[in-house]
Amino acid sequence: MTDLRFMVRQLVRNPLSLAGIILIFIFAVIAIFAPLIAPTPAGHGDPYMIPRDGFSATPALPSQQHLFGTTEGQYDIFYGVVWGTRSAFRVGLVVIGVVVVIGIVLGSIAGYFGGVIDEVIMRITDIFLAFPALILAMALVTVMQPSLTSVMIALIVVSWPSYARLIRGDILQVREEDYIEASRGLGASNARVIIRHALPNAIYPTLIMASLDIGAVVLSAAALSFLGLGAPEGYADWGQLTAFARNWIVGPSSDPLRYWFAVAIPGLFILFFVLGWNLLGDAFRDILDPRLARR
Amino acid sequence: MELRAYIVRRLLLLIPVLFGVTLFIFGLTMLFSPIERASLYVRSPRQMANIPEIIETYGLDRPFYVQYGTWINQVFHGNLGWSTVAHMPVLDAIWAFLPATLELAIFCTPIIILAGIFLGTQAAAHKDKPIDHVSRVAAIAGWSLPTFWLGLVLLMVFYGAFNGLLPPDRLGHQMSIVVNSGDFVRYTHINTLDAILNLNGPVLVDALRHLILPVATLSIVSVAFIMRLTRSSMLESLGKGYILTARAKGLAERVVVNKHARRNALIPVITVSGYVFAGLANGVVITETIFTFKGVGWWEAQAALRLDIASILGFALFNAGLFVLINLIVDILYTRVDPRVRLGGVMQ
Amino acid sequence: MKDLIRIRDVSVRFYTYEGVVHAIDDLDLDIRQGETLGIVGETGSGKTMTALAILRLVPYPGKIESGSIVFVDKGLDKEIELLKLSEERMRSIRGNKISMVFQEPGAALNPVYTIGDQISEVYLLHQRQELAQRARERVNSLLANGRNGWAATVKRPFWRWQRRLYSKIAQESNSIEPRLLGRLPLFRRLLRRLSDEAMLLTVDMLKDVEIPDPARVAAHYPHELSGGMKQRAVIAMALACSPELLIADEPTTSLDVTIQAQMLELFRRIKVDKGASVLFVTHNLGVASEVCDRVAVMYAGRLCEVAPVEELFLNPLHPYTKALLDAVPMPGKELLTIPGALADALNPPPGCRFHPRCPSAKPVCQQERAILKEVSKDHMVACYLY
Repeated sequence: MTDLRFMVRQLVRNPLSLAGIILIFIFAVIAIFAPLIAPTPAGHGDPYMIPRDGFSATPALPSQQHLFGTTEGQYDIFYGVVWGTRSAFRVGLVVIGVVVVIGIVLGSIAGYFGGVIDEVIMRITDIFLAFPALILAMALVTVMQPSLTSVMIALIVVSWPSYARLIRGDILQVREEDYIEASRGLGASNARVIIRHALPNAIYPTLIMASLDIGAVVLSAAALSFLGLGAPEGYADWGQLTAFARNWIVGPSSDPLRYWFAVAIPGLFILFFVLGWNLLGDAFRDILDPRLARR
Repeated sequence: MELRAYIVRRLLLLIPVLFGVTLFIFGLTMLFSPIERASLYVRSPRQMANIPEIIETYGLDRPFYVQYGTWINQVFHGNLGWSTVAHMPVLDAIWAFLPATLELAIFCTPIIILAGIFLGTQAAAHKDKPIDHVSRVAAIAGWSLPTFWLGLVLLMVFYGAFNGLLPPDRLGHQMSIVVNSGDFVRYTHINTLDAILNLNGPVLVDALRHLILPVATLSIVSVAFIMRLTRSSMLESLGKGYILTARAKGLAERVVVNKHARRNALIPVITVSGYVFAGLANGVVITETIFTFKGVGWWEAQAALRLDIASILGFALFNAGLFVLINLIVDILYTRVDPRVRLGGVMQ
Repeated sequence: MKDLIRIRDVSVRFYTYEGVVHAIDDLDLDIRQGETLGIVGETGSGKTMTALAILRLVPYPGKIESGSIVFVDKGLDKEIELLKLSEERMRSIRGNKISMVFQEPGAALNPVYTIGDQISEVYLLHQRQELAQRARERVNSLLANGRNGWAATVKRPFWRWQRRLYSKIAQESNSIEPRLLGRLPLFRRLLRRLSDEAMLLTVDMLKDVEIPDPARVAAHYPHELSGGMKQRAVIAMALACSPELLIADEPTTSLDVTIQAQMLELFRRIKVDKGASVLFVTHNLGVASEVCDRVAVMYAGRLCEVAPVEELFLNPLHPYTKALLDAVPMPGKELLTIPGALADALNPPPGCRFHPRCPSAKPVCQQERAILKEVSKDHMVACYLY
């Protein structure tokens, strides 16, 4: 498909999207090589729980031993952000992956068959969309006992309606096109028409939204963890690490910015991760919209 | 389709949605044990002490639809349960915490709309020039910022490093005393408004000082969003045929952009403003928590932490209802702005 | 006949990512006063670009590279070099002395404003002083009437204020006080009579283009009108200030054949009633033969032949013109096409652009383009055959 090659070429040529790809690549490397970059101490147990070096409440400044310092409770920040990369990828990719699949299935059915099926599915999405996402997610997580898994489930529940709607809209547009009529005239079954003809053309706006959303999902998960509703204390999760810093934003009056690292470092990781995906999604949008691409 | 008929039709369609919403919320409550659910039905702490009696009275161990009926009935009578976090009935709690959030909303909304639309228009009108690239990167960065982190960093700098210049909470210690004293009349419980109505300068200044950081934190993400949307919408609008016609008529470029292009470009922005409101509702939870700005968002976060079911669900219900209403208003607004949607039929 | 527009050596180039496209190459063309000149050609021949170049509306990444376009202003009796004008002065000519009608009336009209608003806009822009005069006279008559109810007494000072404002505008279109007031929300109402007068003129204009029930149509939005009505409205917008040149870019292409016939009748009437020149751009030879006095044929950005309409159809000289005429389908005749493909815009053939497809091509055609020569009375060709 020369379309694909053209798209890839455009992506690489645009400096912003290139920056996004590089950022994501760097994070991917960190995630894959986490055990090498921040090895779990021998006999520690679950590698996703950050090792503690003592129990003192005061964060320790960066040192040879703890490259990024420690949080309140002496959790090593460096270890936390490195393994946190894995958590971030896991949350982002799993949630978006599942949501896109659900969205495609329900959206296609609603869009293609129309009628009562469409109305019912649309009303259901209306119900879910009636809640601001974070508030609903909070309610769901409370019901399910806070943990990273329940955060993921909550986010899936909250996000799928937008995708179902999007795909339904695209299928509706595409449905009226002549080549759909043509393939039906040739005797193709409904499923075949949807999968081989309608979907490939409807998929592009979804791609855009999905890549932008990976960032948004990670942000929401971090927010929930920050509020204490996500990963348990000491888990390697960026939001969770930031929560530790809440009491330490202002140090002693002689050195108010003393504990800046506890606040800044996990936050910067979140920022750049999300930024990478947003840059990519933005570039997708610019490329796939032919009217904007023409100078 | 006539406007009135359209509104009526939308309102009618609302009913099954609202029904579904209540059903959904209630379904969530069924995932808790009867004892925990009891807090949904009581109005005072004394009642809370007597749980078996409550289970009896409200039939909390009876089948689903019976319970749903009971619950819906009392919701319509205004009883959303008891909030353990706030120590008052949920409905009262919403009423009590709403003014603070409203205050944030009142300041954020014009900033978001004006700044977002203005910056977006400028970026589109000067496409590919430096201002476009800078604003684009700034928008993407703003959008990628974790709100809670931004709030923390702002606090760290402006409260910590600058020695208490822009502090958290709603009012400083001294002003709180003034506000709660008898001399200060609480008309709206919105500090800035009340200060103006009471002609009290120091309180006004103090309230504003406490508002700067939360408003900035809340607005940035939404401004970035609106800006990007306005920019792409304007670009699309500027590529249309009527723009060439407008230029061929001899209109100045400024008029072409502001009068002809922008009006069309704003249509999708208005459609999206419902989402902006949702974004605010989300952001409010985090922002109020960080700045200890005691509004509904703060209350909700506390409730979630402490498993105060009645509060969580009551607030979710309230929020859903509000959201649905706002979407309806946006839809109606949309028909006012876009004449193609309003009226139909072709003249000969 | 005297000249209205003199185009000399004009080139328009597009600097695209893939290369430089010569949209127009050293064009020499005259438009005379009171005539309807047609430009005929295929897509990519440069005919639309010529129209846009006159108004200096060539879109990015195109640029008018060289040459001169002289506009002879009948009213001021001056010759104006359009390519050297400041943007502000150019704007006073657009929509006023020279105006344009586009192909798709639906796309040309802004969907969020009424027809009346969009046409009035032209009057308010270019004829502000005349509108102010009329408004002042109306207010004068109100004041002179001497009615004495309490309503009149309250309104009197406002009428006097309005009279003063309108006098100021009539003298100096851009004077400060009315301009400031126009921006303030409540005080804007004082200037409302200007738009009222403009609307009266608009309704008259709509009547002129044969739109039934013009006052009602003016209050409607573009999407509520049929294609033919929209195009008439667009024409009304272009004719509002009685331009000396009306440029029409494929105005009938997107319309039904029956509406097309009505539209062409309208154009013929415009020529007679208004005395304006019309530059009629089209790819349809039949349409050109119906409306035009003279016809110019363009290919790949260059002018091939210019002649009075009958002469061109009876006695075509350039091989391209002959091929075009032969290609018109007629019952009983074999369907002829022009062999070969359109000249590649990025890499056009050297010399004469048409030579790869020309049945009479000579060796010299490959090397240098032919110059436009007058072969018989008022009949010019650019071809080595002559």
